Amino acid sequence: MRKERLETALFRTGYLAVFAFMLLPLAVVVVTSFGNSGQLAFPPTGFSLTWYESFFNQTDWLRAFDNSLVVGLGTAVVATILGVTAAFGQELDDGLLGRLLAPLVLLPMLIPPVIFGVTLLVYFTEFGLRGSYVSLILAHTLWATPLVYFVMRSVFSRFDWQQLDAAHDLGAGPVRSFVHVVLPNVKHGIFVGALLAFIVSLQEFVMALFLSNHTTETIPVVAWNQLRNSLSPMVSVVSTFLILISLGAIVLAAAATNLNWLSKQLS
Amino acid sequence: MSGTNSNAAASGVIERVWKPLAARSRSKRALLLMLPLVVFELLIFVAPFLILLRISLSEAGERGTAYAEGTWSTDAYADVLTGEVAREVITHSFTIGLIATAIAVVTGLLYAYAIWRADGFTKSLLLFSVVLPLLTTLVVKTYAFRPLLSPTGTLNSLLESIGLLSTPLEIVPGLAGAIVGQVYIVLPYAVLAIYSVLATMDWQLVEAARDLGASRPRSVLEVVVPQAMPGIIVATVISFAWSVGSYAAPFLLGDNVTFAMRVEGQILRDFQWPTATALSVVMIGAMLVVIAALVTILSRFGGEMEYA
Repeated sequence: MRKERLETALFRTGYLAVFAFMLLPLAVVVVTSFGNSGQLAFPPTGFSLTWYESFFNQTDWLRAFDNSLVVGLGTAVVATILGVTAAFGQELDDGLLGRLLAPLVLLPMLIPPVIFGVTLLVYFTEFGLRGSYVSLILAHTLWATPLVYFVMRSVFSRFDWQQLDAAHDLGAGPVRSFVHVVLPNVKHGIFVGALLAFIVSLQEFVMALFLSNHTTETIPVVAWNQLRNSLSPMVSVVSTFLILISLGAIVLAAAATNLNWLSKQLS
Repeated sequence: MSGTNSNAAASGVIERVWKPLAARSRSKRALLLMLPLVVFELLIFVAPFLILLRISLSEAGERGTAYAEGTWSTDAYADVLTGEVAREVITHSFTIGLIATAIAVVTGLLYAYAIWRADGFTKSLLLFSVVLPLLTTLVVKTYAFRPLLSPTGTLNSLLESIGLLSTPLEIVPGLAGAIVGQVYIVLPYAVLAIYSVLATMDWQLVEAARDLGASRPRSVLEVVVPQAMPGIIVATVISFAWSVGSYAAPFLLGDNVTFAMRVEGQILRDFQWPTATALSVVMIGAMLVVIAALVTILSRFGGEMEYA
């Protein structure tokens, strides 16, 4: 009995330690953003809102925010269209192409982003697209599409396809039956997929580092370039915003579906 | 004239590829729906890799150009395979990759098990603690360890003030720091990959093993681990692939150059594209070999591999 109690205690300590490890860096970021000195220290020597004030006065950060928004929305739109149509097609007919599709879509997730950065930099330079929004959106889509695609596969697999046959029997065309029969049942899934695609793009920085130029730099790229020079609380301010956006996205996605299902889709 | 000819030839090729595909699939509409994604992957994933391969086989460029177009040479590969620096960089990347993967997968299994056994609010809280860092940018995730682990940082001053240490630990910058940062990056993915498999498992199996007299550690090792193996394999592959290619964590927290950092420098600053691309190709090859070996070894311990 004593051995069992010891095991339970060890197990609890173990996972609580991991819990602390997971959230500690995020806590450090948020707390240091309220620091009052120029050096990043944890815990800070005093608290102030100085760095938040100067954030809103710096145009390069605000421009980076706009860039991130453009690239993120673009990625969400492209990845959602590609992922939803492909998953839908595969659900209608899982033929030869369908069997090739899953590994092809999954493979980019296993390639280190630096290699993608190099590859796509070379590729887009050939087409004169280096530094453009288009190049960033296409690169991020490569990473965001697998998420949308697998979320939608999972959503479609729970849909009762006899409803679609019924719509056809009643004379609805393919577009009409999709909009009126399928869409209402899967719209939460599409929303979550698009949201995840947006977040993936918003947070990605290695590919963006290679592909962006001074006018298209996204937030993580600007933050990274600042970190290279010095560790200033300004980076914590920006990071706090990024964490808040992710937090908002999780709450939204969990409200649309549930956290347990969402977590299983992310792996 | 030649333009129309090649157009006709191209449509002939398309016809020849399309017909058997359409014949083997039941509906054309399904193929048309999948087509955009396939074309996208071919244009943005497959084609760029072929170009990468081609550049890695070119001669180095004159001053100011990235590479010499139209030339063929294996010099870049010879450089990568015989060069002392390249070998150090590759060894260092694999060291980080293997250690970070081992830590992430073992910790991930423990945490996934904890999430699986928890319920209600605790379960949501534990899941939330993985999903939030997963959706936060790499930059944010790694730099926060600097004020925590540096020689003048929180951990060292804490340990010194309670008298456990007289000289500060050199965690950051160093190999240990790079590994801590990298584990933090991949752990959420490892946890969720294992959890999504555990979630489909029947707890009564474990209870049965315990009723039959298995101790708790033994029931986990002999019942839970084999069942969770597909998840453990996915966790291993993801953790390893990303850790070998790690860039941010070793840059901010480490003291040595990984292959990703070197490639970045060669491409963006030194303009040595053939060497950088050859290094990338060699790394992908080596990575795939190690991944195949890891998957083979792990599959022996049970479970069937499935995509996603």
